[in-house]
Amino acid sequence: MAGSALRRLMAEYKQLTLDPPDGIVAGPVSEDNFFEWEALIAGPEGTCFEGGVFPARLVFPPDYPLSPPKMKFTCEMFHPNIFADGRVCISILHAPGDDPMGYESSAERWSPVQSVEKILLSVVSMLAEPNDESGANVDAAIMWREKREEFNQIAKRLVRKTLGLPS
Amino acid sequence: MENEQNDNVNRDELIMQQQRDIEREISDTIPLVSEKLPVNCLNAEYIGDAVFTSKIEDLSAKYSHLRRTRPDGNCFFRAFAYAYLEHLISNKEDYDKFRQLGENSKDKLVQLGFPSFTLEDFHETFMEVVKRVDPSTSNPDILSEQLHKIFNDQGYSDYVVVYLRLLTSGKLQEEADFYQNFIEGNFTIEEFRHQEVEPMYKESDHIHIIALCSALGVGVRVEYMDRGEGGTVKAHDFPEGQTPKVFLIYRPGHYDILYPK
Repeated sequence: MAGSALRRLMAEYKQLTLDPPDGIVAGPVSEDNFFEWEALIAGPEGTCFEGGVFPARLVFPPDYPLSPPKMKFTCEMFHPNIFADGRVCISILHAPGDDPMGYESSAERWSPVQSVEKILLSVVSMLAEPNDESGANVDAAIMWREKREEFNQIAKRLVRKTLGLPS
Repeated sequence: MENEQNDNVNRDELIMQQQRDIEREISDTIPLVSEKLPVNCLNAEYIGDAVFTSKIEDLSAKYSHLRRTRPDGNCFFRAFAYAYLEHLISNKEDYDKFRQLGENSKDKLVQLGFPSFTLEDFHETFMEVVKRVDPSTSNPDILSEQLHKIFNDQGYSDYVVVYLRLLTSGKLQEEADFYQNFIEGNFTIEEFRHQEVEPMYKESDHIHIIALCSALGVGVRVEYMDRGEGGTVKAHDFPEGQTPKVFLIYRPGHYDILYPK
């Protein structure tokens, strides 16, 4: 089974390298292990995360793509849909029924025809448009809703931090 | 507050993970598809149960054997694929038609909007399995043995299941207006396909069966065996009026394969 997962991951890596979506770079951490990837995601333009480059890890299960990978930012993040430890909490990373946050029925879910690219594009949309109904980080959700200026200030600091600039 | 919230969610996830591990452990002890067993082996599960005992007797009058499938939510698709390919091993004409339909199905799914890139692996594996039971390559006994081996190799077996799920989803999309009538609740066809059809381990309902049978032009008879009155199993043909080539038994929550006498 791991054979087909490996073949699929290699094909996805090739595709992402030949035809990368704007603002996304992703690939295996090392050539020896295709089941762990690093991704760099540019903060979407026109949002408070613009200009930042945010690193994340993706870990794939042996039965990928039947089951989805897990994704975690490895830099400091402050966002309604990202846990304090960096874990990303969006519907496409979950199969239906496997549902810690009670996503809406219309939300996009994992299925074997989804891909790493689809996940990363969803993460870019999530950065641009947080879903403040999901409580991965309640403080961030409340601040996003009620004190947007303050939220933007924190985001700006995180952007500078990912670039290695003094905050 | 934030930490407490994270702890709670972590705990939920841990519990769900544990639940999944337990389910997985139980189901992994059952082969993906079993050897042929006499129909009356079902008695062992219903000792002293008059309703089921009489229904098993009724079933035994029409069917000699069954094959169990692993109860992992994929049982309908796995049972269907196994039973139909087994039929094709000794039916060259149906085989050739099915193989042609299989070859053409990928382009059709792409036209319906499935991403060609992620579809490819599943289609390729599906066709490889179909080719490995080609009646012109060997005798039926050897091919049946081959089929059994392939379906108990999780890599192949699961990919066949995925592809049938995609064909089912494609049919729902193609005739969305018709199938929308069968969907309960506030689901759109689109949501139903993505949530109840395409993901692995999601159980099948009538609508899945009807859509798959129509997509492939294959008749299926399902014998229903539950606590209902009457003392006999109840047969239902999909689509109605078509000669069944695949025979399944349904007990609440689960499908196995049947062999008529």
